[in-house]
Amino acid sequence: MWWLKGRTIWHVAVQGGLVLTLAACATRPTSSPAAVNFPSGPVAAVQVTESTLSHSAPCAGAFITHTLDHITLTHGKAVHMFETNGAGVAINDLDADGLLDLVLANFKGPATILWNQGQLKFEKETLDDYNTRAVNSVDVDGDERLDIVFTHIATTLSYWRNIGRDAEVGRPLFSHEALPRVLKPAHSMAWGDINGDGDLDLVTGSYDAELNLQPGSTFLFTDGAGIYYYAREKDSFLPQRLAPQSQALVIALFDANADGRPDILVGNDFDTPDFAWAQTDDGWQTMRPFPITTQHTMSFDAGDIDNDGQPELFATDMKPYDVSVDTMVAWLPMMATMRQIRPAGQTAENVLLIREANGRYRNVAVERAVDATGWSWSGKFGDLDQDGFLDLYVVNGMMDAELFHYLPGNELVEENQALRNLGDGSFLPAPEWGLGSTTSGRGMSMGDLDNDGDLDIVVNNLRSPAQLFENQLCGDAGLEVQLRWPESQNTQALGAQLALQTSTGTYFREVRAGSGYLSGDPARVHFGFPADATIKELVIHWPDGAVSQLTSIEAHTLLSVTR
Amino acid sequence: MSAKITSLRTRLLDFPILTLLHPREQTPLLIAGLLAGIVSGSLVMRWLDWPFWTAVAIVLLVLLIPGVFKWRADQRRYGATVMGVSFMLVTQGFHTIEHIAQWVQYHVLGWTMRASSGLISPANSEWVHFVWNWTVVLVMTLLVWRGVRNFWAWLALLWSVAHAGEHTYMFIRHLQVLGELSGLGITDITAQGLPGILGRDGWLARNAAVCGVFLSRLPGLTTAVRLDVHFWWNIGEVSLLAMAAHTFLKSALSGRLMPPSNS
Repeated sequence: MWWLKGRTIWHVAVQGGLVLTLAACATRPTSSPAAVNFPSGPVAAVQVTESTLSHSAPCAGAFITHTLDHITLTHGKAVHMFETNGAGVAINDLDADGLLDLVLANFKGPATILWNQGQLKFEKETLDDYNTRAVNSVDVDGDERLDIVFTHIATTLSYWRNIGRDAEVGRPLFSHEALPRVLKPAHSMAWGDINGDGDLDLVTGSYDAELNLQPGSTFLFTDGAGIYYYAREKDSFLPQRLAPQSQALVIALFDANADGRPDILVGNDFDTPDFAWAQTDDGWQTMRPFPITTQHTMSFDAGDIDNDGQPELFATDMKPYDVSVDTMVAWLPMMATMRQIRPAGQTAENVLLIREANGRYRNVAVERAVDATGWSWSGKFGDLDQDGFLDLYVVNGMMDAELFHYLPGNELVEENQALRNLGDGSFLPAPEWGLGSTTSGRGMSMGDLDNDGDLDIVVNNLRSPAQLFENQLCGDAGLEVQLRWPESQNTQALGAQLALQTSTGTYFREVRAGSGYLSGDPARVHFGFPADATIKELVIHWPDGAVSQLTSIEAHTLLSVTR
Repeated sequence: MSAKITSLRTRLLDFPILTLLHPREQTPLLIAGLLAGIVSGSLVMRWLDWPFWTAVAIVLLVLLIPGVFKWRADQRRYGATVMGVSFMLVTQGFHTIEHIAQWVQYHVLGWTMRASSGLISPANSEWVHFVWNWTVVLVMTLLVWRGVRNFWAWLALLWSVAHAGEHTYMFIRHLQVLGELSGLGITDITAQGLPGILGRDGWLARNAAVCGVFLSRLPGLTTAVRLDVHFWWNIGEVSLLAMAAHTFLKSALSGRLMPPSNS
């Protein structure tokens, strides 16, 4: 009887659907407490100084926006390719007064230092350095004083060496010097003790599309630029060319093959595939660790978003964050002018790569809802609400007289995207946090600028004043750790890995010089965790393999750990 | 030999769809039309430098002639309802071929989404999808009204209404975007291929209520590209139509369906 067969098939379909549903639920990512699996190493004795962080102002449940005294300018009224690429920002304690200062690069005007005076007040000083793009604040010469390094487009890096505090001025002075044998033009850079010999090495990358356009550029008549690895050798750097050409908007030092040594990742613009080199005993070997990368890579950041002990890698591209009619109208005419290609292994949307148990990476950006954050520039992880899970903030926007000639002011106006980690590595937009600025952000960095235990955010906008977003979320608890290693040339212990074990989970961080787009990170790392968590232990894996373990740690403190 | 043919014919009656769709006396005209269409299409491509889709369109137009004769014969032999079933099966069958072609272009040949427009690329436009899907709904409704009433037919009707609903959503947005672009003085942008309700970047995928819950984990519901979403819409529609037709034809027309003769 047909109806009987129909009922049988119906039941099979329903039960099959239930099985599928259960299977889908079962595949929901779960975070399991991670053990601290640092390689064993010699114990490193340390001295610890604790200072209690101040309590934040009455919590507003959102970020409060402050305007900073800096604007990254462009030449002329209309913005053309590639001025729109903007400039970066670095956060670090330049004068060692316990307050994080800011350095902002500037396309047209002078670069700016904003000295933190406390209470979110800053004193401005300009540096006689123009056309600056990326900025990092690192101790290049190992004298325990943080220096400043900028990239440009058509020239090599500019190095501002911190020569110490001037009694009259009341703060450090900087001397504009050369980095020996660092001669090639560079748009992006990455600093770290890459070869593990205790001093800081450097990787640079050129942005050839813009380099070619520079008036008077002799680029075409030289042997070009590309990707260079500079190994520090005493007072100089040994250059090694890894690639003759590049469209490098970002460089990251990331252990892609999990062999314990940092590898080099280069994010290229346009259809140029991203580059990756593995560090081996025989030198640098090209590799393709990822099944897919972004097509127009603007930014990299790595973070353990599910607290399983494995960092995930996030890269930004350009894709509208909503599909409303207004957004489609703003994007479609520009997209119609773009070459319609589908390069193998690349996708024109953000990518979030997780490393699975079999050692392979998988892109989960779509299923974790981080694939689209607009015309994205800097994207970084940070535990903004201090619940123990890394959230994500992406700045976006675009100005171009040719691409967006049809829009008012030739500008694609977008809201920066704040995404809250739901606790399992998937994300949800958090517009209630008040971070949806529409001022075309480019470089961005995070740090506790008011020493109240939570992460604030600084954005270097294009043609609008830079902004400081003061964190007044009703977050839980925090801990900040500043490592010092005066016996080493790597005095800020770049590359050190930290694991904070608490009753609510284990949280992993790494000390880095930079991340995101063109921007520098503070050497001080931040942990957030639930207020009722009990801190058990902080484990520090130093760059040379030594290990320190600290107990009896209080929340809401800044630990200064000196080895 | 005749016993084997008789056995084959008898078994064919177990699949009345095959019996219904057999061109029977239109077979020579169908073959001739197919050949003529292919030759004509090839000639226009070669001599007039017309695009591939015009050749496909020519073949389909030529095949329409035996098709019309066949359907007229079905109507005379079995009535209008069965003829309607035959019409739906054939047209949706070709529609399925179009979706398969798109799938191959995108997933096998690696073409861009825009280029993966099937065999008749101009037909891959929002208004064509809108009109086609609501025509399917209309015909399905008529068939149900005319007696094709079984569990699968109702499900097929429901499915086609849902499919048409998705295309209505996309069509409205398409018109809205075109209207806004026109206001900016931009009239040469097609605004094709916008996301719908299902699939990647669709309404469901971007809905905060769904984010992070099991719905977003169901395979493809919020992650499949538009081409795949509509491939599966079509597969579902054709499968349910086939089940409905099979059930209807077996029960309503048992003994009336004539197996194809030797000629």
